[in-house]
Amino acid sequence: MTDTGTYLYAVTEETPSPGLEGLHGVADTEVRTIPCEGLVAYVSTVPLDQFGAEPLRRSMEDLDWLSETAGAHHHVVEEVADRAPVAPVRLVTVYRGDEQVKDLLRARHDDFVDVLSSVAGRREWGVKAYVDLSAPGPAQTAPSLGGPGTAYLKRRQAGLRSREEAWRQAASEAERLHETLSSIAVASHRHRAQDPELSGRKEAMLLNGAYLVERSRDDEFLKTVDDLRDRGVEIELTGPWAPYSFTDLEVRGDG
Amino acid sequence: MSEPVRTARMRIQADSEAMERDLSRLVLTLVELVRQLVERQAIRRMEQTDLTDEQIEVLGLTLMRLEEAMTEVCERFGLSPSELNLDLGPLGTLLPQE
Repeated sequence: MTDTGTYLYAVTEETPSPGLEGLHGVADTEVRTIPCEGLVAYVSTVPLDQFGAEPLRRSMEDLDWLSETAGAHHHVVEEVADRAPVAPVRLVTVYRGDEQVKDLLRARHDDFVDVLSSVAGRREWGVKAYVDLSAPGPAQTAPSLGGPGTAYLKRRQAGLRSREEAWRQAASEAERLHETLSSIAVASHRHRAQDPELSGRKEAMLLNGAYLVERSRDDEFLKTVDDLRDRGVEIELTGPWAPYSFTDLEVRGDG
Repeated sequence: MSEPVRTARMRIQADSEAMERDLSRLVLTLVELVRQLVERQAIRRMEQTDLTDEQIEVLGLTLMRLEEAMTEVCERFGLSPSELNLDLGPLGTLLPQE
């Protein structure tokens, strides 16, 4: 006997034909829709022995399981985003049943409508800026008077100063980058900078920005990013994404 | 406790060899932290010119030897300087990253 729950991916406004034939989501389950009051929830039925609250605590520690599930989740969101403005829901949002999803759509109806109209015709781009502080600083300072101990301290002083200076310059460059991109975007959001373990890069991350951009201004946005490269910070561009950073309605499952 | 055990990849392996290595790494990290703090303090005081040339020389020599000693000890334990660090989560790392 397996109990099941309803896994929620995303919400859109009702469309004539969602056209989801054959779309599969997490744990290879079929994606279906639940219409309610002009909104549609994209869901699938999942076994609670994997997606219940207690099993999830353990599953989330299994990196293979996590990356597979995240991949499937994002795939569904991207497919839906191709068809209509979408409000993605957080990874592993699970409800006891369809009725609870309908309750959500009814209770948060106006919030969803607001959010969906704010992202219509717009997509999210991610821009990260890094600085490499391991690059050697300026060469030795002028040979100083005094013995080797004094020379050592002077060298350390110079190293410290040049690192601080490099950091300050890069940080202000990243600020300018964020300001420029924000002026093109409809909305922007700065996520917390990731540490090297998460970003998979050795350099320090200075900016982890998300920008909601009108489709008609995509080219302008991309060109601006390109123009701002090679100014002391390294820029990484990702996207376009479904508007993950601009649709957070704090929807939580009840599974 | 009859439920099947899932492999939890992020759990800590507590065998004694790894523990010993981790413990020496932790101790060395703390020593290095103190060394760097003292070094920065020395640089600050050197900049404020409240040290005599002689005092600067002695401080510099001491810190230099300490650094050499650290490098030696690290080599003995098979650790690289970049391993001497602790991730404090939202606070970043304990030592500045090279």
